[in-house]
Amino acid sequence: MENDFADLGSTSSLPPDSPQPAAPFSPRADFSRLQASADAIRRELGKVIVGQQALIDLLLTAILADGHVLLEGVPGVAKTLTAKLLARTLDVPFSRIQFTPDMMPSDVLGTSIFRPNSAEFEFRPGPIFASVVLIDEINRAPAKTQSALFEVMEERHITQDGTTYPMQEPFLVLATQNPIEQEGTYRLPEAQLDRFLFKINVGYPTTAEEVAILQGHHAGFGGTPLEAVSTVLSAADIRALRQQVRQQHVEPKLLEYIAQLVGNTRAHKALYLGASPRASLALLNGAKALSALRGRDFVTPEDVQFLAPAVLRHRILLTPEREMEGTAPDDVVKQIIQQLEVPR
Amino acid sequence: MPPLRRSCCALLLLASLGEPLVAESQSLAPRQLQLAAAPEQVSLRRPTAERLKALRSQRELQYEMEPVPQTSAWDSFWYRFRRWLGRLLNRPAYQHGWRYLVYGAFLVAFVFIVLRLLKVDLTGAFGRNPQRMPLAYTTEGEDIHAVDFPARIAEAEAAGDYRLAVRLGFLSVLKQLTDRGLLTWRPEKTNADYLAEVPAGPLHAAFGQVARQFEYAWYGELPLTAAQYALAREARLALLQLLTPHAA
Repeated sequence: MENDFADLGSTSSLPPDSPQPAAPFSPRADFSRLQASADAIRRELGKVIVGQQALIDLLLTAILADGHVLLEGVPGVAKTLTAKLLARTLDVPFSRIQFTPDMMPSDVLGTSIFRPNSAEFEFRPGPIFASVVLIDEINRAPAKTQSALFEVMEERHITQDGTTYPMQEPFLVLATQNPIEQEGTYRLPEAQLDRFLFKINVGYPTTAEEVAILQGHHAGFGGTPLEAVSTVLSAADIRALRQQVRQQHVEPKLLEYIAQLVGNTRAHKALYLGASPRASLALLNGAKALSALRGRDFVTPEDVQFLAPAVLRHRILLTPEREMEGTAPDDVVKQIIQQLEVPR
Repeated sequence: MPPLRRSCCALLLLASLGEPLVAESQSLAPRQLQLAAAPEQVSLRRPTAERLKALRSQRELQYEMEPVPQTSAWDSFWYRFRRWLGRLLNRPAYQHGWRYLVYGAFLVAFVFIVLRLLKVDLTGAFGRNPQRMPLAYTTEGEDIHAVDFPARIAEAEAAGDYRLAVRLGFLSVLKQLTDRGLLTWRPEKTNADYLAEVPAGPLHAAFGQVARQFEYAWYGELPLTAAQYALAREARLALLQLLTPHAA
């Protein structure tokens, strides 16, 4: 199940070469605006990014599902660049935080400073106060700083000196980390990993895509890529599209299917820790957003199966024996999917 | 005790011990001489045949092992079990309280066997994860080989439950394609998986249309009128007609 490398561009759970639906077997909602926006973002990112379609589509799904994304990949596969370009397509405040080992929570959240003129403390917001926050190399900050993100990522506000400061909608954290380098890094706590809607494994491009990257660079397009990307969606647009996604229809048996899928991670022999109910919610919200991107007003088991690895892989812990054997979390998720009957 | 009296006692003791030793050595010498002179006078006594037969018939003088009767493994197990049980019950400790432990063990074993027969899952009580409980899926309907589709579809149509009729119609199509070897039925597969198995051509397109109609009707919970259901039924029948050359 190469979910991370599949194309989400089809307008159904069925492949795009299937005949287009005719009434009454057609969407009851208008997804033209949503799909036009998604296509425009893909187009804008395609000006700079070669390939990585699955990454872009999962990022779009996360934006619509109102969830944070953790991008994991080796250096040089355009994790940070993709996140920066995606932020440029959204007409919302953007900030980037480079996590370092000496970073303190106040460097992220903000701090209160004393004003001699008024003899009062004044809160100076930190870089977290933006709509799209790119946290580069999130695992380089110690657990103390990482823990500062718990409240803001889940509850969308921070509390400082007894005062609560809400984030503005949309609020999206895009974090990157390198899976290979271990020196000078701190493993993210499970509680924080659970707050990411998706963990997307960013892989290497294909040979053809790499040739295209080389051709573009050789032709001189490698110098000024960021300015070529235009804004597509405003904050109000994003809020409206999210509202539409929330109204997606989910058949009751599919809710049971999601619950069973996530619940089976808690009883699997290869897993030391299963996924939490927050994973079920993430899978539901993600599937609703994905089905809307695919042009349907209802969720299918295909949507759930497609997103399961991205939703579950960072929320489960393998037993030490399986870890030493080289089993990957995706293998276990795939096995769980294969053992579960699709409601039909 | 004075030294003089002590010396006298010692002498008396030595005298009393030494006298029999001398007497013994004197009595041994004539017997050895008698034996040395006796061999030609020794007469061997042989038992008579009757005497040998009588001796052989005595149980104490029969040294051959009795043949062990051939028993099955099951009989051997029960023999050993009864022997073990007999030993256990005859122990003195059993009479003082251990018997209650044995009663308890037998009771637990009995309860365990009954629960196993009733298929009651008690693994959660022992700190282990319980077995997965099946969802309330209509698994009978999912087993496409165990459903009488024409009758069930006719029932759904008669009841006006067109959504169910579309679902049953789609499952019947899956059964037809499976029977013809055009796809492999597995409950965990999605419609896209099935569509990928159907060979390209008119059949592929027709199956895609039927699958899409099923998804909208079933997952989308589309309320269908009789006229709208007629479209789905027509598409299904058209697909089944395409299957005829494959059957041939």
